[in-house]
Amino acid sequence: MVMAFGTPGRDPEVLRPRDPAEACRMKAALGAEGVFVAGGTLLRTQWESGAAKMPGALIDLTALPALDGIAEEAGALVIGPLVRLSDLVRSEPVAAGFPLLAEAVRRIGAPSIRNLATIGGNVASRTGDALTALLVYDAELIWRTERRTETMRLEDWLADPGAGEGFRLLAGIRLKRAGAAAGGRAGRIAGGFRKLGRREAFIPALVTVAVLGRLTEDGTLAGVRVAAGGGSAVPSRLRAAEAVIEGARVSPETLVRLGEAVAGEYRPASDAFAGAEYRRRAAANLIAAEWFTLCAPDRKEGEHDPDP
Amino acid sequence: MIERTNPLPAAADAAVISFTLNGEPVRLAVPPARRLIDVLRHDLLLTGTKIGCEIGRCGACMVLVDGRPVNACLTMMYQLEGRRVTTIEGLAGGAEALHAVQRAFLEEGGFQCGYCTPGMIVSAAALLAERPDPTDDEIVEALSGNLCRCTGYGGILRAVRRAVAIGREADGTG
Amino acid sequence: MILTRETAGGRWRIRPDGPGKVTGRLKYLTDLALPGMLHGVVLRSAHPHARIRAIRTERAAALPGVRAVLTHRDVPGLNAFGISRQDQPVFCSDRVRYVGDAVAAVAADTPEIAERALGLIEVDYEPLPVLDTPEKALSPDALKLHPHGNVLHRSEYRRGDVDAAFAECVHVVEETYVTPRQMHTYLETEGGLFVPEPDGRLTVYAPTQHGLLDRLQLARILGVPEEAIRVVSSPIGGSFGGKDELNIQPYGALLARATGRPVKIHHSRRESVRAGLKRHPMRITMKTGIDASGRLLAHRVRIVADTGPYATLGAEVLNFATEHVIGPYRYANLDVEGVSVYTNNGMSGEFRGFGGNQAIFALEGQMDRLAELAGIDPWEFRLINLRRMGDPGPFGQQIAQTDGAYQVWVKLKESPLWRERDSLKRAGEASASAQSGGAARPPWIRTGIGAAMVMHGFGLGYGIPDPAAGRLRLAEDGRIEAIFGYEEFGQGLFAAIEALMIDTFGIGPDDLRIVVGDTDRVPDSGSSTASRTTAMIWQALRRMEQPFRRKLLEAAARLTGRAAGGLTLAPGGVADAESGVLLIRYADLAAKAEETIGAQVHFHFPTTDLERIGAHFLYSYAAVAVKVEVNLLTGRVRVLDQYHAVAAGPVVNPMGYVGQIEGGSGMALGFALLEDAVMENGHYLTGNLDTYLIPTIADSRGTVAVEPVEELPEGDPYGPRGIGEIGSVGLAPAIAEAIHEATGVRVSRLPVDPALLIRRPEDLWKAVDGR
Repeated sequence: MVMAFGTPGRDPEVLRPRDPAEACRMKAALGAEGVFVAGGTLLRTQWESGAAKMPGALIDLTALPALDGIAEEAGALVIGPLVRLSDLVRSEPVAAGFPLLAEAVRRIGAPSIRNLATIGGNVASRTGDALTALLVYDAELIWRTERRTETMRLEDWLADPGAGEGFRLLAGIRLKRAGAAAGGRAGRIAGGFRKLGRREAFIPALVTVAVLGRLTEDGTLAGVRVAAGGGSAVPSRLRAAEAVIEGARVSPETLVRLGEAVAGEYRPASDAFAGAEYRRRAAANLIAAEWFTLCAPDRKEGEHDPDP
Repeated sequence: MIERTNPLPAAADAAVISFTLNGEPVRLAVPPARRLIDVLRHDLLLTGTKIGCEIGRCGACMVLVDGRPVNACLTMMYQLEGRRVTTIEGLAGGAEALHAVQRAFLEEGGFQCGYCTPGMIVSAAALLAERPDPTDDEIVEALSGNLCRCTGYGGILRAVRRAVAIGREADGTG
Repeated sequence: MILTRETAGGRWRIRPDGPGKVTGRLKYLTDLALPGMLHGVVLRSAHPHARIRAIRTERAAALPGVRAVLTHRDVPGLNAFGISRQDQPVFCSDRVRYVGDAVAAVAADTPEIAERALGLIEVDYEPLPVLDTPEKALSPDALKLHPHGNVLHRSEYRRGDVDAAFAECVHVVEETYVTPRQMHTYLETEGGLFVPEPDGRLTVYAPTQHGLLDRLQLARILGVPEEAIRVVSSPIGGSFGGKDELNIQPYGALLARATGRPVKIHHSRRESVRAGLKRHPMRITMKTGIDASGRLLAHRVRIVADTGPYATLGAEVLNFATEHVIGPYRYANLDVEGVSVYTNNGMSGEFRGFGGNQAIFALEGQMDRLAELAGIDPWEFRLINLRRMGDPGPFGQQIAQTDGAYQVWVKLKESPLWRERDSLKRAGEASASAQSGGAARPPWIRTGIGAAMVMHGFGLGYGIPDPAAGRLRLAEDGRIEAIFGYEEFGQGLFAAIEALMIDTFGIGPDDLRIVVGDTDRVPDSGSSTASRTTAMIWQALRRMEQPFRRKLLEAAARLTGRAAGGLTLAPGGVADAESGVLLIRYADLAAKAEETIGAQVHFHFPTTDLERIGAHFLYSYAAVAVKVEVNLLTGRVRVLDQYHAVAAGPVVNPMGYVGQIEGGSGMALGFALLEDAVMENGHYLTGNLDTYLIPTIADSRGTVAVEPVEELPEGDPYGPRGIGEIGSVGLAPAIAEAIHEATGVRVSRLPVDPALLIRRPEDLWKAVDGR
C-alpha cells in the first residue's frame, strides 16, 4: 500500500539529470528557479533564515554517480564533489597525503551534518573551511559546462569566480601529490590546520588557518604556504606571511613581522560576534603557533609523508 | 522518479518513495523534497523523533539512515529512496526491549526533560555500533551535534560510558 | 561526600518517567494530534516599535483552507495578560512594542496554508523611534511605552550612612558589571493542542509552570468562568522559567473557540526566539569599601534592568536582584537602588536564578577585587565578612536559621580543587601547567582556579501569594495517589514524589500513582518555580503523613479484625508490624473500605515577618570552585574541573540533586562564556541555534563534583531546601576569578569577550620563551 501525504506545491520539485551536461542545461533553462543540490544542508539553513528563497526546482546532483568517489590519478588525487564530508574524513589516501584537509573537514559541523553534506557544497559556498586547507595544497577545480571540461586553480577561482559562458558544475577537486608540488625531497612535508570558533564544537569558523612547508635541516620551513579564512571571508593565501616564515626562525622580531604581514593581507569579515581586529590577531597567533610547533625539536603532529 | 522533458517547475507532485522504516518496507507518495521530520511527526505520527531548530543544529530529530546519524529536519524524502531509516522507535528492535544505550541513560540519569533524549540516544547508538569501545574524545565528537539544556552533559557522558560497559559485559569481555 | 550513583547506593533510583523518555514513547504536549485538527500560527510585529494604522485580514480569510483569522477585535474578554500585571496585549490594536508582539492569528487545515495566510494579512505600520536601551527609554523626551511611563519598577534598600563609611574605607572598589540577554533554550519550543469539548469546555494541552494560573489568565481572556477551562500541562520539554508566563495559549484557545475544532500550535525556534522570554540584561554598578583588616564597611549598588516591552515578572526579578546584591555578607552601611526599565527590546522575564545570577556575578566580583587590593586570600576574605548562624537576612529580616554559608565555605576550603589552587600558587604558574596538564600542554595555555559564594532565597517571598497544597488518596484500583499541582519539566518531580512517598510510607513504587499537571484533578499547590517544589511536597507530606497513615491502618484494622497499632504500611498492602506478613492488599482495601481514604492539606509557603515584598525566609547556600584554561592564542576559555558544595538540607532524590547542580552549572557556563541573544535596533541577530550558542558536550567535558551538606540545625521544621536554581548561579563569578588567576585580566562583562584575553603574536614569544 502506498500512503500519500503532504501539500503539493509547497516543496520544490526534484529534477534528476542524467549527466553533467544535462544538469547544466536544466540550470540554464530554470535560472534562479533551479538550484543544484547535493546534501542540501546549507540550502535548508538559508531557506529557514530567509537568506535564500526556496526555488521551484532542485537539480539533484546525486543522480550523477560520476561526480562521487575519490580517484587516484598520476601524481594526484581527484575528489568527486559528491563525496560526503564524513567519507572524506575516513578516506585513507586523504588522511595520508592531505591530512590538513582531513582535519579541516573533521571539524566542519557535527557528524550528522557531515553525513549529509558534501565537499562540493563546502567548496561551492566559497567560504567553507575545507578551502583554507585546499589552498595550501594548491588544489585545482575541475568544472563541467554543457560542452566541455575545464580546470582552474582554486586560488584563481576564489580570487575571481568569473562569469564564464553558460552554467558550470564542479566535477572534481584535484590535489597534486605534495612531493611534486614542493619540488623536492630534501625534508618531510609538514603542516597544520587550526580553526577558531565561538565554541568548542559544531561551530562555524571565525578564523581558519593552514600552514604547510618542507622541514629543512636547520629547523626552518621552506616552500611555505599559508592560507586563512573564516566567517564570511573568502579564504586566501597569505603571501607576505609566507615570506616571513620562509627559512626564518621564530623570534620576537619575526613574530612582529608575521603579525604585521597578517594584519596587512588577511581580510577577515567582522560581525556582531567577533571584530576584524580580533580575527586578525587570532589568525596571526594561530599561524605563529603552527610555525612554532612545526619547527619545535620535539614536534610530532602535523608531519606527513609527501608520497605515501 | 518523475521524468520531465521540459524541466520547468510545476506543482511539486507526489512521487512514490520506497524505503525501509524501522525494519518495515514503506512506500509513500509524498512531494519528493518534503522533509523527513514532517513525514515522521505529521504524516506517520512517529513523534519519538523531536523537532527543535529545523536547521540541523540541535540534534533533537536525529535518525539513522543506513546506520549513520542524520538530521531528519535536513533530510528530504527523495534522498531516502532505497535507504534504511531507523528512528528511536525502532532502535531496540522490539516494543518492550531496551537498547543498551537506553538502559544506560535510565541508570545514570542521562536525561531530565527528555526532549533531546531520543536524538541523543540515536547518536550514541550509532557510535557504539561502529566503535563498541570508544574513547571519551570519540564520544564527545559523536554527540557534538546533539544539544541538551538540562543535564550539562555529565549524566550523558556517564551514560554512554556505562553503555560501553554493558556492551562489554554482553560480550563476555568485561 | 561527593554525591554520585555509587555513593548514593540504593537511593539512586531510576526515574518513573524515564522509560517513556528513553524510548520516545512519552507524548509531549507538542506531540499530540487529533483527527481534523487545525494548525494555528501567529503574526508577529514587523517592527520593534510602531503605531498600527490598519489591519486588513480579508485576503487571508478568503484563502481556501483558512478557518479563522483573529485580531484584537476577536478577544471576548480581557485583551491582556501577565502573571503579575496584565500589560501585554493578546493582540495589539494600535501599537506594537517589540518584534514578538502578536497582531493576528490564523487557523488553517495545514501548517502550509496557515503560513501562506499570514503573508496575506496586511498591517499598516507607522514606525516609531526604537528605545533599544534603558538609557534611551529613561531619557525625558522618550516616548512613553505605557501610560505610567517607561519605568516598570524601582526598588531600594538602605542601612546606615554609606557616604560617611566610604570616607573611613582603606580600600574601595568601583566597577560596573554587565550581563547578557540569556535565552532559556528549552529544547521543546512553545506549543500545544487546544480542544473544544462536547460539553462546551475547553481543554488546553500546553506546557506551563502553573496550570491553575494559566487557567485563570485564559478565563479572563476568553471571558468564561475558570471551571470552563481545563489545563493539562505536563510533561514539558524544559522550561527554566521560560514557560511560566503565557505564550501560545491565548492564540490556541481563541482559535479553538472561534472554529470549534482542535487547534495545534508549535513554535518554530525562530518564533520562539522572537516572542519568548529571556534573562534580564542588567548593568550593575557597585562601589564597595573595606577597612584595613578587610571588613566590609560600605556597599553601594545601582541596578539597571532591561525588562523589554511588558511586565511579566520583571518587578519581582528586580526585587530578587536587590536582595541578592547584598548576599551572605555583613555590612554596616548599605545603599541599593534598582530600576527595571521598559524598552523595545525582547521580553525579559523569569529565568532560573531570577536576577540572582546577575546580582551575584557582580557581588562576588567585588569580593575578589577587594581581596586583591587588601592582599588577602579571596576565600579568607569572604570568611571575614561572612554571615553566621543567627544573623538576619540581607534586608535585616528574620530568616530560617542554618549555618549553610559557613558550612559550604569550609567544604570548599577543604576541597581538592581549592587545595590544588593553593599548591598552584605556591609552585608558580610555569610548573603548575606542567603539573596539572601534563607535559604536552602548550605554553600559550594558562590555567587558574577561582571560587564564589551563593546565598539563594527560594519561594516567592513576603507578600506574594505562595500557596502550597497536596492530596493523598487510595484510589478505587488500590493505587495510592499523590496529587500535586506541580509540573514536570525535567527537574525530576515524579522521582522526588516517588522517593518521598516511599520513604514516608514504606510503600512500593508499584503502589503509587502520581497525579500532576491537570487542573481538573489537582489542588492549588502554587507555582513550580523558585526552587520551591520539592520543599513544598516534603512539607505537605509531613502534614498529611499521620492522618493518611491512620486512616489506612484503621480501615485495614476493621477489615482484618486486627488492632491498628499492630499494623504497618508495606509494599503491596498493609502488613503485620511484627512479622511483616502482608494482611490485606491495597486493592482489596480500596474495594472493601466503606469510605474514601484520603488526606488533603493547604498551607502557605513559610515567609519572613519583615513587611518587604519578596523578602525571603528560606535560603540555600553554595560554594563553587572552578578551574579554567585560557588559550592566549585565541582568548578562549575552557572550563575544566568544578566543585560545588551545596547546603540545602537533606537530599531527597540523589539523581535529581546531581542533575540539578550539574545542569544548572552548564547553564551558568553558557551565561559566562557563550550566550547572548544579541539585539540591534530591537531586532534579534541570533534568530536560531546557529548563532545563539548554548554549550555542546565538547564545551562541557570537565568534571563536576557535587557535595551536599545535609545537616540542618536540630528541630529545623522546614526540611529540604530548594536546589533547582542555585547550581546556575555561582559558576560565572568563579570563572571570572579563575580567568584572573590565569591571566591577570579582570572580566566584568558576560559572556567573556575573548578579545580581552588574546595576546599579540610577539607577546606569545614571552610565553614560549619563558617555559
